[in-house]
Amino acid sequence: MTQYFDKAPTAGRRSRKSADPAAVKVVEVLIVGAGFAGLGSAIQLRRAGITDIAIVERGSEVGGTWRDNQYPGAACDIPSNLYSFSFAQNPGWSRGYSGSREILEYIKGLARDHDLLPLIRFQHNVEALDFDGGEGIWTVTLSGREPIKARSVVMAQGPLSNAGFPNMRGIESFQGKKIHSARWDHSYDFAGKRVAVIGTGASAVQIIPELVKVADKVKVFQRTPGWVLPRFDFQSPDWAKTLFAKLPVSQTAVREAMYWIHESMALGMIWNTPMTRALELLGNRFREMQVKDAWLRRQLTPDFKIGCKRVLMTNDYYPALQQPNCELISWPIASISEKGIRSVEGLEHQVDCIVFATGFEVSKNGTPFPVHGLGGRDLNAEWSGGAQAYKSVQVSGYPNLYFTFGPNSGPGHNSALVYMESQIDYIVRAIGKRATGEFKYIDVRADAQKAFNTDIQKRLAKTNWNSGCKSWYLSADGFNSTMFPGFATQFARQMADFRERDYRLV
Amino acid sequence: MQLDTVKMLAKIKNTQWALADIDWDAPGAELVTGDPELYAKLKVFMADLMWIEHVGARAFAAMAKKAPDDTLAEIYRYFHAEEQRHANVEMALMKRWGMLEGDADNPILPEPNINLRLVIDWLDTYSDEMPLEVLGSVIPSLEIALDGALCKFLLDTVQDPVCHAAFEKINEDEARHLGIGFHVLEVMGHGKLHQLLVKAAGNLLNPKLIIGIAAYLPLLNRMRDNLVKLGLKEERLYEAMNKYKRIGGRTEQGRRNPWFQIISHQSAMVVDRKSLYHVPVDALVRLTDHYPRRWLKATPTWVKGLTWKTAA
Repeated sequence: MTQYFDKAPTAGRRSRKSADPAAVKVVEVLIVGAGFAGLGSAIQLRRAGITDIAIVERGSEVGGTWRDNQYPGAACDIPSNLYSFSFAQNPGWSRGYSGSREILEYIKGLARDHDLLPLIRFQHNVEALDFDGGEGIWTVTLSGREPIKARSVVMAQGPLSNAGFPNMRGIESFQGKKIHSARWDHSYDFAGKRVAVIGTGASAVQIIPELVKVADKVKVFQRTPGWVLPRFDFQSPDWAKTLFAKLPVSQTAVREAMYWIHESMALGMIWNTPMTRALELLGNRFREMQVKDAWLRRQLTPDFKIGCKRVLMTNDYYPALQQPNCELISWPIASISEKGIRSVEGLEHQVDCIVFATGFEVSKNGTPFPVHGLGGRDLNAEWSGGAQAYKSVQVSGYPNLYFTFGPNSGPGHNSALVYMESQIDYIVRAIGKRATGEFKYIDVRADAQKAFNTDIQKRLAKTNWNSGCKSWYLSADGFNSTMFPGFATQFARQMADFRERDYRLV
Repeated sequence: MQLDTVKMLAKIKNTQWALADIDWDAPGAELVTGDPELYAKLKVFMADLMWIEHVGARAFAAMAKKAPDDTLAEIYRYFHAEEQRHANVEMALMKRWGMLEGDADNPILPEPNINLRLVIDWLDTYSDEMPLEVLGSVIPSLEIALDGALCKFLLDTVQDPVCHAAFEKINEDEARHLGIGFHVLEVMGHGKLHQLLVKAAGNLLNPKLIIGIAAYLPLLNRMRDNLVKLGLKEERLYEAMNKYKRIGGRTEQGRRNPWFQIISHQSAMVVDRKSLYHVPVDALVRLTDHYPRRWLKATPTWVKGLTWKTAA
């Protein structure tokens, strides 16, 4: 059993500004991040009567991932009626699968309609979190600002929030324009330009069809082809919008239907079943229908089970690749040079701009900033061998600290927001328990966390994610700390069950 | 001797080069173009060499799909691209020596002979379905013939320093290809002998493989005849084949690989003019001369990826 210390850590770490505790107000809940998870948490906390909330946001507006990902063609690959909060449905979605701008407007609407803006402190970048076990208070260190103290902290900074250029040989020598998909430069005019896109994942398959429309030449550098399935997108008819607005229960019914359709996908996506084969058959037929050339089709054929990596939902990607101004390059990249990309077949592909659709630095093995819990224990160090938590939301030794999209909460087949809502409900219950004032803090027991993880890793071993392919779901040594091995319904049931015996209430 | 494939992959990634690393305008082209007899011989030889590298590249693409682990699959992906690079270099040398037909800026690919076309057709249709044992045992024999006989012949015959500079790089790549090739050859000799034999016999009965063998054997004989006509000493081919037998058979595992034994024997027959093997195979060569072109599939698009350009 882990030994806990109720003493504030004082020495051995870098110095930082400290404020007089008597002079600094302690907020009940501090939320890091004003994206979907942060705003959703604030709404539900308020509904539960917890109103002493502060939200710190490093950007200058709300929206998180959807504020950052504004590349051309950016859209959600889950239907909008399901990729939204059940407690804040939007009857006005313009399409089946809305674009990022519309989703961002929805998030802004959440902040506005629920009067959350006064709670948000923009351009507040968290540098560290330190817990004082004696006081039961978290100190939130901010870049260039006074620290904030809080009883509870909700980490809602998002798993996909840190984008960076990949560590590729010669990347610093490239003289042209470099753009990361998650930090799009809208001022750059692609018209008449020769563009290379590195990556063929979820962002790339949305960007490429848009770039092909404007650029002179688009070269797509592919490492591993993914499974592509058709996306049944459509423009929402006006009558549906009117119906949803006048009769919200009708929208709830549609949402429910979509939920169960996606739930059924788990049977093929998460586990290797006959439905996996059926989905692969659909993917193969779709490729055969859309790609005429046999060699191109071979290059685009995945060599792993469907679901092992994120499935790409797009109708436009394959046709875009076959446009005369587009070329798929599946040769490995040797290096990036001053003028472009050198691939191993010996050619230098000279371009004006390289778009890096290479994904995010998902926090699988660490925290985005130092987090010190009881006795100064360092979460980054504890997670160095793979992140672990209790029911994805809490980590033993870090009391009153809650994670949204924490370890093993990722869905492979259903809306992330469905999972998020379950987590938020759990967090609200836990915070509510502490807010009664009976306890300084609540901390999950180490043995409960260990038992939870033993079980979840056992279940993960049987999934498609752990069937051999490399993906961002897995750490470099193959540990899966991102995905939940089950149906969304199972996840919701897990989160609905708050077991007090698994906690130390101090 | 087992090879560390992880270290080999790192080495491969660290030793990449591009066509742009070679000064294609450096002096020396006249050493080829100024000798009409050499020029005529080389034009045919270079085209054949380029095509052999190119079909070798396609075989590596098929092997990448069958590799038993991610590292070896990645190595084969690199080898696929590297063989393509070699074919591109050979096309660039042909361009330098004015051996490509058509417009100077937009030259036409030399036409592959009928046996090459049949092998290209077979690779395009069936190679992805072939077990690693077959391709993994054939490829080292081709590589060793390429490295030990063809390239040496070229460098002995041609004095153009650009050709030497280019082949210095190609030979470094080929040395790694051979290292992996013989490693895999040995790995495939692990297991119970009777199981290996039954599996090999089963593969030999596969009609798709039989078609492949029927396309491959006449290609080898035609190439041998072409090379000898160009002045390649037959001893060079003997030496190369002996090297395959020596290195492939240096360990018990290598010798236990039935495909190594089959290819060793077949190679010995290829280089033995007196062998009865040549009666049916030479007949096949003559027969393929009459193979109706309309029966050939449309040229696969992977063939069109060849280029002499340094940048695109």
